[in-house]
Amino acid sequence: MVTPSIETTTVDVLILGAGGAGLLAALHCHDAAPDLSIAIAVKGLLGKCGCTRMVQGGYNVAVDPADSVERHFRDTIEGGQWLNDQELAWTLVTGAVERVMELENRWGCFFDRAADGRVHQKAFAGQSFDRTVHKGSLTGIEIINRLAEQVLARSILRLEDHRALDLLPARDGNGMAGALLLDIRRGVFRLVRAGAVLLATGGGPSMYRYHTPSGDKSTDGLAMALRAGLFLRDMEMVQFHPTGLALGPATRATGTIIEEGLRGAGGHLLRADGARFMTDYDPRGERATRDIVSRAMAGEMRRGNTGPRGGLFLSMAHLDPAMVRRDFRGMVDRCADLGFDLVGGLVEVTPTAHYLMGGVMFRPDGTTSMPGLYAAGEDTGGVHGANRLGGNGVANSTVFGGRAGDTIARHAVAGAAPPEPDPAVVEAAVTAAIRPLSRPAGDLYHHRERLLDLMWEQVGIIRDGAGLAGALAELEEIGAGIEATGVAGGPLYNPTWQDRLNLGNQVLVARAIATAALARTDSRGAHYRADHPAAGPLDETTHTVVRLEGDRPVAGLCPVAFPRLRPPPPGCIGGAA
Amino acid sequence: MSGPDTALPDTALVVDLWRGDAGGGGLVRYRVPVDPGQTILDVLTWVQRHAEPGLAYRFACRVGMCGSCAVMVNGVPRWACRTRAIPVARQGRLEIRPLRHFPVIRDLVVDFEAFFARWRRALGRFAPASPPPDALAVIAPDASDRQLVDAAIECIGCGICLAACDSVGANPDYLGPAALNRAWAAVNDRRDDTMGHLRAAARDGGVHACHAQGSCRRFCPVGRDPAGAIVGLKRRLLVAALKGRL
Repeated sequence: MVTPSIETTTVDVLILGAGGAGLLAALHCHDAAPDLSIAIAVKGLLGKCGCTRMVQGGYNVAVDPADSVERHFRDTIEGGQWLNDQELAWTLVTGAVERVMELENRWGCFFDRAADGRVHQKAFAGQSFDRTVHKGSLTGIEIINRLAEQVLARSILRLEDHRALDLLPARDGNGMAGALLLDIRRGVFRLVRAGAVLLATGGGPSMYRYHTPSGDKSTDGLAMALRAGLFLRDMEMVQFHPTGLALGPATRATGTIIEEGLRGAGGHLLRADGARFMTDYDPRGERATRDIVSRAMAGEMRRGNTGPRGGLFLSMAHLDPAMVRRDFRGMVDRCADLGFDLVGGLVEVTPTAHYLMGGVMFRPDGTTSMPGLYAAGEDTGGVHGANRLGGNGVANSTVFGGRAGDTIARHAVAGAAPPEPDPAVVEAAVTAAIRPLSRPAGDLYHHRERLLDLMWEQVGIIRDGAGLAGALAELEEIGAGIEATGVAGGPLYNPTWQDRLNLGNQVLVARAIATAALARTDSRGAHYRADHPAAGPLDETTHTVVRLEGDRPVAGLCPVAFPRLRPPPPGCIGGAA
Repeated sequence: MSGPDTALPDTALVVDLWRGDAGGGGLVRYRVPVDPGQTILDVLTWVQRHAEPGLAYRFACRVGMCGSCAVMVNGVPRWACRTRAIPVARQGRLEIRPLRHFPVIRDLVVDFEAFFARWRRALGRFAPASPPPDALAVIAPDASDRQLVDAAIECIGCGICLAACDSVGANPDYLGPAALNRAWAAVNDRRDDTMGHLRAAARDGGVHACHAQGSCRRFCPVGRDPAGAIVGLKRRLLVAALKGRL
């Protein structure tokens, strides 16, 4: 039996997560209100966790005089299939201009320049203008390195190797009391009392067999939000990237991204028999959009036209090898390290779960329905609608992270005593987290495999009502199995215990995804229902909302408003006037 | 799990993992089934999932971008996620220890606090002398200073250079190659206060504590050249001193 030990830390502001959203929130909040005491919690090391760091493509922003925020906005809405919250999307495109300037001039990011010395902007799928600012193909490293070193230089309390277990509403129902954390190193619970809490842990569909997000991502923020009674929107919108590595179950490299630009540069996708197939699905062939390529690949894979690892093949061999080596150096090196040849050989690939468009409902200033709780980044929903454009993800995390930091700086009062948490909630969270350590150890990874396979097969790229209903029943069973599984190895920096806690959150969010996907009886963007393949009338667009009722996610549908841009009338091709 | 090595290297790797904490520890032997694609990270994952649930190891991104997972493999500092096990094994054996010159937290997890403290002491951050302009600077991509910045940034902060550095072993106050490489990028960044960064690099434990053995460059997994950066800083400091600007 393990006796829980709880330490208490009191601050004015608690930031959960240290990707682009969390770091910018910390910097903005600190610099706008230096008297506030701020803590930033991260599951691993500051600046090394989350997915902003993994951004390869870049940052969409209308800074060219020939471009405009209106065009960026229209691209974002059309890409999102009219499902976006338009005020959030407008805030994204206008905020991006300010934020890119700030990243360069205040935090020191040094983006690539064009021959004339101005910032270089490259073409990226789904956009009417070349507007993606970047640093080579490692844009995220530049952004996160520069932000993290600024946080390091300020008096901001870093809670590294700390995971958040649950949000703590005030005992009297009036605002936030903080959050319960676990110090992963020492196996000690840390009750952080704070009247302002920012949820910025990042989403990440890591509950699919093939997935791209960083290994620390387990939808903790979304699960905590559900348990705290918040509404999530658009949870059925899971973006799949067409090319992840298919290297089999023995390596964590499986599922990680093979750069999209390879297809743009002329790369071919091949079946196991060596034949191309994308031209059968779309006149643009391999250069079709992410959703179309992923769906075509999923169809081919279901028909069993696959290689030894269950995937299809990417081939660059028909292209100039010097070009491939020069333009895709990072990818060529990565493949070589993993033992194969991207330039002249075949790379086995599979679509891979990449991004959650859905998340906590929030306002442009970062506030949520719960006073004292703020949200930003991939934990939120509504910015991207049914499909996120490449290059809008890092814009989302940095724009809204900074804005949430500004809002918190205005709302929070330095040194004010935070509300009292409900001791019953604290105790329940501690008990739930520590329970696996006192139960007999079971085969946790068997449950994980079942979860990942089920989500891939039934709640993945191609869905239907019967499959989703069956999946919901099976997810409950898997959830109960995870809940009953104990873990050996003790409380100190125990990765199996952490995986057990991760899986509890992943299976809950998986149920939210399946619930929303069952409620949405049309096909839009990333969500494709084989039994409802039509998009439905755009001007009657609704978005899903999921919340927890008891311990079961329930879904509803809400109409989408079009305050800035109206969808085209039925039968009309192209954008609205 | 321990015992004499009778397995063939093509069916199982013999893996000796350091287990312990700040108070001490030792090697424990495991047999890990061979898979042709497996990385060092996958070897650690196999041991954790199948043999030793409490094995502490660190990773995040899985693809060589975050710099969380470096360990010593058969005496050499390497990134676990991008190092395939079979090519670095010696007769089917791997000895994996925590990263050299870093305090151990538990098993293969080390404390990065001092690594980042060095970064801070080297003024490893954008610190312009005047308030920022409200336009993006126009800088030719082929300008020599811009190219020097490009060569130095994109460091992933993995700590491998520090683990490889014998100078830091002899002098724990030494800022070390990663922090000085960051300083070199700042010194070449015309938007930044280059003299301020140069002064920080000249302090006690700064560039003059480097003994120019070049291990940092040799082991850097992302092709940075901290040794070259330190030479550049020394040269720039000399010029500044001769002009009486320090």
